[in-house]
Amino acid sequence: MAQVPVQTIHRDPQLFYWILIPITVVMILTGVLRHYATVLMASTPKKQELPAIREQRSLLRGINLRVNAHNLSPSSFETRKAYLVNAYENGAFLKEPEKKGQAAPNPMTDPAAMEGMMGMMKGNMAMIVPQTLIMGWINAFFSGFVIIKLPFPLTIKFKSMLQAGVATRDMDPQWMSSISWYVLCIFGLQSVFNYLLGSDNAASQMQQQMGQMAPGAGAQMFGPGVDPDKQFRGEAENLAVLAHQYTLEGVEERLLQSVKV
Amino acid sequence: MSSSLLHPPAHLSPSVALQLSQLAPSLLRNAPSSITSYSLSSLWAPAESPELWTTYENLMLSCLRTGDEQSAHLCLERLTERFGAENERVMALRGLFQEATAQDDAALKQVLGEYETILAKDPGNMPVSKRRIVVLKSLNKTIEAITALNQFLDASPTDAEAWAELADLYVSQGMYPQGIFALEEVLLITPNAWNIHARLGEVLYMAASTNDSGSDKYLAESMRRFCRSIELCDDYLRGYYGLKLTTGRLITNPPQASRQSKSDTGLPPPDIKTVERLNEAATSKLAEIIRRNASGEAGWQGYDEAEIIAAKELLDRQSAPIIR
Repeated sequence: MAQVPVQTIHRDPQLFYWILIPITVVMILTGVLRHYATVLMASTPKKQELPAIREQRSLLRGINLRVNAHNLSPSSFETRKAYLVNAYENGAFLKEPEKKGQAAPNPMTDPAAMEGMMGMMKGNMAMIVPQTLIMGWINAFFSGFVIIKLPFPLTIKFKSMLQAGVATRDMDPQWMSSISWYVLCIFGLQSVFNYLLGSDNAASQMQQQMGQMAPGAGAQMFGPGVDPDKQFRGEAENLAVLAHQYTLEGVEERLLQSVKV
Repeated sequence: MSSSLLHPPAHLSPSVALQLSQLAPSLLRNAPSSITSYSLSSLWAPAESPELWTTYENLMLSCLRTGDEQSAHLCLERLTERFGAENERVMALRGLFQEATAQDDAALKQVLGEYETILAKDPGNMPVSKRRIVVLKSLNKTIEAITALNQFLDASPTDAEAWAELADLYVSQGMYPQGIFALEEVLLITPNAWNIHARLGEVLYMAASTNDSGSDKYLAESMRRFCRSIELCDDYLRGYYGLKLTTGRLITNPPQASRQSKSDTGLPPPDIKTVERLNEAATSKLAEIIRRNASGEAGWQGYDEAEIIAAKELLDRQSAPIIR
């Protein structure tokens, strides 16, 4: 079989100095800048008012009672249950007792909820704006440049990934265009940022993506748009139907069986 | 050594606390005084770690314990510089420093007044309201401290520390049912805390020793609490000590079966045979712990010396009549 002749393209070595290195340096500097911009823009978590704390923790108390009821004697459990169920149903722990029974406020009009959304928006903007700018910059100045040849062979599938912006059908996929180098930098600079800024830096995109996918469970529980009165009623029902068991029942026998002297 | 600076120093023995605070000057000299996050040099400086500030906080507490007020003040200054004077925790630490350096009750009262101004402005400031309760307690205003704690717990009923403090205050006043209630709340938050189970057993035992109307009920529950604490933590000296005490009392004056048929706890009174076997098990286990601790076996050295001595004394007291 005849050997496929190796493609050679004579490139100006200046391409290397004036495209490859500038793109990389600009990417790193933007990452650093984004980190500090996020740190600066981060809104401090808003302090909760005492009634709000009371509302949340009283609900947690009921959950604690339900989960750990086995530690209590039946009589003390019954007393607590009666008290909490009654208080939950009357809305004694509500932040705004007069609003009991009304529908949950629209999260768009709730200022506390807006705050959280603004924070998320800020984070997204810090990601999108610089990336759009750099992409535009590269497109304007370096589009269509083939800047580097990868030192290993690749199949034809990589052509669309590595030669974005270069519409040459027959070129070997080893050749890489400037826009593809930019895309590679976006995903490949993670460890550089970790080294420069510490592992929990705001420049890392992975973290932001993770954060968007799985918001904290606690945030959902007391998040905006959830009617606390409904939560209390649900918890009261859970408590009321709980079948109580006492751990101390038969603990002597269990202990005697397990203790070996 | 600096690893123990990352844990709250409340449990440290005096000697370790002294050792830590003697390290303070060199630590303070070496640790960075502040980290500016917006300067260019921070690109090369080691990243700011939460451990640094935990170290400062714990070092400050150790220094205050041993009377090194200068170092404590330096720690406080650096914490204030980093987090701002309006930070809740820093406010509480500043108050703590003022409490520790207060010369007499009048100065303490002044600190108390400051706390009250802070709380009037922001009633949601948990660390400062806790400090206020502690000052009330150290001024011997127990009743006011209990009232303040109850208010605090109304707003934050999932605070195990506060419930435990309340239980201690109630027990110090001899209000055992209230103390038991508070300890049960602690157990609801930390269900597997064997020390709290044992503490509840102790309070139940105290309650059983004072009043005689429900003493049988308390005694049986106390015994079961100690059983549970041992079940959760093998070779728990305090649990076995309490088990021996309670079973000993249950043997000498067994509960009257007629009155006990329907007790409050819903559990039948313990079988006398079981109680005797538990007593034997506790006796031999205590003897084993003492023996192994004395012979210096590995894995048996963590016990408090005072507790070992107390257990030895209990065994001697019980065995004396048999020798005679």
